[in-house]
Amino acid sequence: MSRLLSVEFRRFGARRLVRVTTALALGGIAFGAFIAYVEHFRLATLPDVPLGTAFPLVVMGWLLGASFIGAEWHAGTVTTLLTWEPRRVRVLLTKAIVGVLSVFVLTTILQAVMAAALFAMASLNGSVAGAEGWLTETATTALRVSALSAIAAAVGFAFAAVGRNTAAALGVGFAYVVVVENLVRGLKPEWSEWLFGENAGLFLLGPSNDFPFLERSQLGAGVYLVLLSATLLAVATMVFRTRDVS
Amino acid sequence: MIEVLGLRKEYRRFRRGRTVAVDGLDLSVPEGGVFGFLGPNGAGKTTTIRCLLGLVRPSAGGCRLLGADAPGGLSSVIGRVGSIVEMPLLYPRFSGRRNLELLGALAGVGRTRAREVLERVGLAERGDDQVKTYSLGMRQRLGIGAALLKDPELLILDEPANGLDPAGIVEVRELLRSLGREGRTVFVSSHILSEVQQIADRVAILSAGRAVAVGPVGDVLRAGRSEGLLVRVDDLATGQRALADAGIVAAVDDGLLRAELPSAGAAAVTKALADRGLYLSELRPDEADLETVFLELTRGPGEGAP
Repeated sequence: MSRLLSVEFRRFGARRLVRVTTALALGGIAFGAFIAYVEHFRLATLPDVPLGTAFPLVVMGWLLGASFIGAEWHAGTVTTLLTWEPRRVRVLLTKAIVGVLSVFVLTTILQAVMAAALFAMASLNGSVAGAEGWLTETATTALRVSALSAIAAAVGFAFAAVGRNTAAALGVGFAYVVVVENLVRGLKPEWSEWLFGENAGLFLLGPSNDFPFLERSQLGAGVYLVLLSATLLAVATMVFRTRDVS
Repeated sequence: MIEVLGLRKEYRRFRRGRTVAVDGLDLSVPEGGVFGFLGPNGAGKTTTIRCLLGLVRPSAGGCRLLGADAPGGLSSVIGRVGSIVEMPLLYPRFSGRRNLELLGALAGVGRTRAREVLERVGLAERGDDQVKTYSLGMRQRLGIGAALLKDPELLILDEPANGLDPAGIVEVRELLRSLGREGRTVFVSSHILSEVQQIADRVAILSAGRAVAVGPVGDVLRAGRSEGLLVRVDDLATGQRALADAGIVAAVDDGLLRAELPSAGAAAVTKALADRGLYLSELRPDEADLETVFLELTRGPGEGAP
């Protein structure tokens, strides 16, 4: 298991998509730091910044999670991998764990870099006044964003594993967010407590009037999202365990 | 080494209905040497190999590899099995060396072994190039290299000579022969029958998902076609009558006379013809090759000779 984990971590790190998206994110951080410098950034507003970057990071998590298994199906390397490690459940779960953990670590590092850059800009050409407790508050929010990105990676991974390519996962994700969630909100708003978007919003922002049909707590929303992604991964594992690889 | 018992695999596809890829195949591959697994396209060779490696689940029957049931017990023996299924599928954006190192890491094989294997398959100089820049033949070599990484007792190779140039085919032939001589068991499927005939100790010929001939190459060749002598004379009809008068069954075959006699009967043929004043310009044994046997055995019902 440890060999497989090690190999999968190396594979994840060596993927071009991971490197490209990381480079793009770093470019975005650099641009943000420049704006912060020019606009005399106030450190007291830093805890709100991770909320602003949550959407692209969650999408990035979804994409990286989906493509980690989708690209294997596309290239046919699932066949090769299974001729080296035929225990399918172990193979799929290892890949899922690596994908999810890697996305969590990557998004945490990116947010740490962004926070450090903005702190530097506030110190150089902004204001650090009235920013007591900024670090704890920022770290808490950033960790929630990272957790949500990791959950998105797990869901994307599960869809790509079943659909056998990345595009399937992206298509399903897009259709779900644009069509299903909006239909439910419009036609059956009382069901919206089960929607990914509502629970993700509650998990990030905490209880608010924006989510009138959600009676669970912020932690409860997080637990629901974890259970949802775990269920999807379990289904993907069951499908992978029994399907023919050809 | 490999036991296949009553293996059956059906694919059910939407709109295309049911396809039987393997239909009650029985096969036993002994330890050591090269075993050729032959059959026309669609005969079920690759499906059988996929079943052996646990990639597809049999609809009925089963397989055993090195004493372990496939797919349930495969994990206990997979470290002793190297394989290629159809085209070797490796990470196109990684170098050949990195691909081998990553695969090797799964089995605890070090980088030194990856380097040795690259040299053995003639890719040492291109080892650091991305696989997507490799030719078909180079990918095939890399796949063979990957199969050799674990220093396996059993090699299962599906069409390993696909895409190779003539020199590459000869190299692969020599490689497989040497692997068989080292005491490994090499199970190789191929449609290049002349290659298989040169390297295999035993063969199985598959047609429509069933084995139509299994055994040592010599036995299969003899079973496929009776021994005979080919004779060239100017007057075929007179020659045929002369042989018949001498008690030798002969038939006209593609501008020659084919006498139903083993090579040792050549003297009787020359004498029978000379007695009638017929002088032959060619006399040679009609040796069946694997290709001929293969075509005869795999020809569908009602199909004539080619």
